[in-house]
Amino acid sequence: MLRIFISTVTLLLFANASYAINSLEDEVGVGRYVIEGRVFPPEEQDTNNWQVDTRIHVNGGEYIGFIKNDGSFSIHNVPSGSYVVEIVHPDYMYEPVRVEINSKGKFRARKVNYIQTSQVIQVPYPLKMKAFTKFRYFQVREQWRLTDFLFNPMVIMMVLPLLLIMILPKMMNDPETKEDLKQISNMAKMSELPEMSEMITTLFNGGAKASTSKAKQVKKRQ
Amino acid sequence: MGMLSIRLKPNFLGLLKFLNSMNWFIVFFSLINLSMCIYEDQIGKFDWRQTYVGRIKFAHFDTVTTAKKIIVATEENVLAALNLKTGQVMWRHVFESASSGNIQLLHLSEGDKVTTVTGSNPYLVRGWDPATGVLQWEWPISLVDNERAHLSEWWVQNGMLVHLLPAFGSHLEVTMYNLMTGANRGATSKLPAGWINDGCVLTPPYYTCISGNMGEYMLLSLDVTSNAVQIISKPLSSYFQANEVIEGNLRPLDGNSAVPGFIIDDKSVVVIKNNELQALGVRLADQMATVTVIDGAYGQTLMQSWSDENKGFSLTAHNAATGKEIPEISITNPTLHIPDPEILDVVCMNTARELPACRILINAGDDAIHLVQQEGRVLWTREEALANIVAAEFVDLPVSDTDAALESEFDQKEAAKVYSSVWAAFVRRLHTQYQQLQTLMQNLQSEGAVQETPTSLVRDYFNLHKIIVLLTDVGKIYGMDNLSGEILWQRYEPSLNTQSAVMFTRRSARHQPYDAYLTILGKHEETGNGYIISLNPIRGTLVGEGRLRLDVRLLQCALLHTPDAERLHALVLLDEDEAVQVLPVSATPLVRDLYMYVAEKETGQLRGYALKYDGRQVVAQRTWSLAPGGPGAHIVALAGKSRSARVHSAGRPLADRSVLYKYSNPNLLLVLLERPQDMTVTAVALDAASGAVAAAAAHRRARALPLAVHADNALAYLYRSDKHRRVEIATMELYEGKERWEAAGARVSAFGRARAPRVERQAYILPAAPRALAFTATERALTDTHLLLALTSGTIMELPWAYVEPRRPLAGEPREEGLIPYAPELPLPAEAAVNYNQTLPRVQNIYTAPSGLESTSLVLATGLDLFYTRVAPSKTFDLLKDDFDYHLITIVLAALVVATYSTKFFASRKMLKMAWK
Repeated sequence: MLRIFISTVTLLLFANASYAINSLEDEVGVGRYVIEGRVFPPEEQDTNNWQVDTRIHVNGGEYIGFIKNDGSFSIHNVPSGSYVVEIVHPDYMYEPVRVEINSKGKFRARKVNYIQTSQVIQVPYPLKMKAFTKFRYFQVREQWRLTDFLFNPMVIMMVLPLLLIMILPKMMNDPETKEDLKQISNMAKMSELPEMSEMITTLFNGGAKASTSKAKQVKKRQ
Repeated sequence: MGMLSIRLKPNFLGLLKFLNSMNWFIVFFSLINLSMCIYEDQIGKFDWRQTYVGRIKFAHFDTVTTAKKIIVATEENVLAALNLKTGQVMWRHVFESASSGNIQLLHLSEGDKVTTVTGSNPYLVRGWDPATGVLQWEWPISLVDNERAHLSEWWVQNGMLVHLLPAFGSHLEVTMYNLMTGANRGATSKLPAGWINDGCVLTPPYYTCISGNMGEYMLLSLDVTSNAVQIISKPLSSYFQANEVIEGNLRPLDGNSAVPGFIIDDKSVVVIKNNELQALGVRLADQMATVTVIDGAYGQTLMQSWSDENKGFSLTAHNAATGKEIPEISITNPTLHIPDPEILDVVCMNTARELPACRILINAGDDAIHLVQQEGRVLWTREEALANIVAAEFVDLPVSDTDAALESEFDQKEAAKVYSSVWAAFVRRLHTQYQQLQTLMQNLQSEGAVQETPTSLVRDYFNLHKIIVLLTDVGKIYGMDNLSGEILWQRYEPSLNTQSAVMFTRRSARHQPYDAYLTILGKHEETGNGYIISLNPIRGTLVGEGRLRLDVRLLQCALLHTPDAERLHALVLLDEDEAVQVLPVSATPLVRDLYMYVAEKETGQLRGYALKYDGRQVVAQRTWSLAPGGPGAHIVALAGKSRSARVHSAGRPLADRSVLYKYSNPNLLLVLLERPQDMTVTAVALDAASGAVAAAAAHRRARALPLAVHADNALAYLYRSDKHRRVEIATMELYEGKERWEAAGARVSAFGRARAPRVERQAYILPAAPRALAFTATERALTDTHLLLALTSGTIMELPWAYVEPRRPLAGEPREEGLIPYAPELPLPAEAAVNYNQTLPRVQNIYTAPSGLESTSLVLATGLDLFYTRVAPSKTFDLLKDDFDYHLITIVLAALVVATYSTKFFASRKMLKMAWK
């Protein structure tokens, strides 16, 4: 069985909402109504010609409305029933409203709640639609910040050992450990890294001289 | 200290508990981050959009307002303004796609107003500002007589909207309304007219008929708006020579003719002037010619235009009064091919030079519109056929010549054939390397020059560059570059009926030296029999069978999975009489283990066939039959696996390190049925080879939406729940369980399986109205799959499968790692919109195709607009980010090298100093 989570509903509210379902079934032959309302433009000033970009979709485009210069709209020829009215704008989000028209032509507007379908939170009927927020379509690119750089795990991994090597010996005044450290540093005498001057001389003077320079170095060390 | 630890301990434990419960939150948020969205500076980098309006129904030049434009109303129920210079859409309004959005009238009045009448009883009259497209006023009309409402005619005259309703054989009803307010001036006037019939034409304000008996036809015309009823009439024979046969067909002049007029029997032109019928001295040059009369610099001018197979496009202009030809305007252009031209509107402007400049807007039979200048130069063309795409196929490009040589060199079979000795192979290797070096040098040289030449239709390294072949409703086929959206080739096939047409790539471009091969299978326009068009999708030329007319109607078709010697996949056709044809015939012996199914949409019946080669021919044998929805049900949607789908993941690892193996049946088919009488929606997943049902679900008090998708072991479909008045998406996943049924790599038989898969299912609320649904497709299906969901609001949402996954645990159930707890309503954040603020009205279909990158899926959304983009469901894990800072990493590396050597230098100096001490 499909498990759709439905919260418990109070019977009274449900009775209130059910007339719209019934009226949907026998819509033929009943009069046509007009859903009216007004869309308020977004606060920002850069909205010239927002009227052209704004659409009113009733039940996902079953009826489509357009707004006039002052933001007012009316959707004609709507039979009685229950409709979700949404304002479609590419940049601004509006909250949809459910409008219910009963068979006597009485209007009621309420908030759309898809989960608790019988919960009624009324909103004033000649609809007043205000822009909710601006759509955030895009990710913000990370900017290069010093703090970001410093707290980067890689950087921390490099900096911390460095601190340990440089500062710890200075902090320790014990001569014995100093001696030990010296020995360690002597052992790791960076002999793996080729000497720059050596490399260049080998490059330019050929192999023979390189061996002499090595001999020199040996002498120096002695 | 002790105090502290005591105090801390319970808190610490609580913290641990809290962290544990937060676990799923962390998973949840990490998933949110997974949902990919683009950066603002990537706008237009991977995506493009093309806006269309559909086949033009009415058009008016607006040369009054500052920006010159053309106001158009289309068959797709779109009102738009096109820029006169470029043809681009300036503003556009999309009405309802149902009959309530049909545009009945478009009128552009001198006083700077656009009037439209839309709908089909009730009607809506709206006024628009042509400059901005903002609605000025609107009011509804509903007619009492619903039966005859479709015969209504509308026009605007002297600031009044006139509505004419004929009652054939008795009278005409004429009503006038105030255009702005809808106030009805006087009641409906009934004009007695017993002579009207359904062959009458309206050329406002005249209503003209041919009446009378055969041989003594009378032409009768009536100004329906004048106060006095005054019928003007003339015998029809006065417009014809004595020996001509008169049929008595009327058609009005096209292109917003300046004077009311009509064409009789596609031969002679009659206009009404000063309340008198007047024949023009000019006869139609071609039977199919489109004729209009304009008020231009040359006085009243009769223009006619037609197209000829050999002579191309022709347009002539004659002075209406004298009948003399005006050669300045006339065009004959043999290179221009505009099938079935129709003049939509003509404007002639007086320029500073002596010659007036005329612009002619022409609607072609292939739905393209052309703006033609008087010398025959086409200023711009809009391919409006693309507003109605029925099928699309992504086709791989061929590899470049050097790559092809390389491929053939390392192809084992080929190599064995060509090279007898090691030496030959060695020489060949050297030769190829020399070639590669040459191309490298060439590339280096031409680095600064133009990089992308139109001829460089070769596959790129990641196979992101493809050709999209688009089949449109009108029968026009396009080849489009997927990176730029540029049309590479086009063909118009007027005899192809594209209703339920399909497209197959029968040979991809990778099999050198054979060309790619694509087949379109549709119906013939006249006979309804099968009609096959085979073409090279790269160049758009006919190949192989070319155009092939079959002499039977087809039931089903399939591609043979084994290619023949030329690497071509044969087409297997099952016709009405359940006989089988194989194309090419030489591939007939290859038919083995082939199964087909036929689904009857109206009755909800499904039938399975087994196809066997008996040594002489292929015979189809009915194997199973099923009506899964019960009596009265009809099929709403069918979803099988896409032919290109490959799945390289056998299961899903669970939290306890066991594996949940997928039920990957390549023959699985999802059938969505609806039974309207008791409002039941049934979804059945069945094995199309054996007819065995793998999973099924039913929803009461629901209406189905034609949206169902299937990929791998996942199924998803949408339905509208009438009980709760919302749209729900139901998903299913099929698993074999924690143990495999067969060993890995074993041959799987559809008939050997007696076991039913484990079915996980769930439904979610979709807080929006959907229009199209698709799965993302990647090459090996190792990447996450996302659902692409087009909404009526014009956005395409990328919905991670993790959100609609049926295994999401309910409240109270044990939580599982990697699964988000169940929430009934699906989140649709703006970040998930792949088309950001580029609204796509009326999306019909979403096509996805894999690229060479496992992470990336190519997406094409069709509908009124075309939108192409690429999505990366698990982010681009196999590519460096496009903002990857190459400079920074170079600098850092260089700095590190310098630092190493400098410290070494300083260290050695220090050592030296220490040694001297």
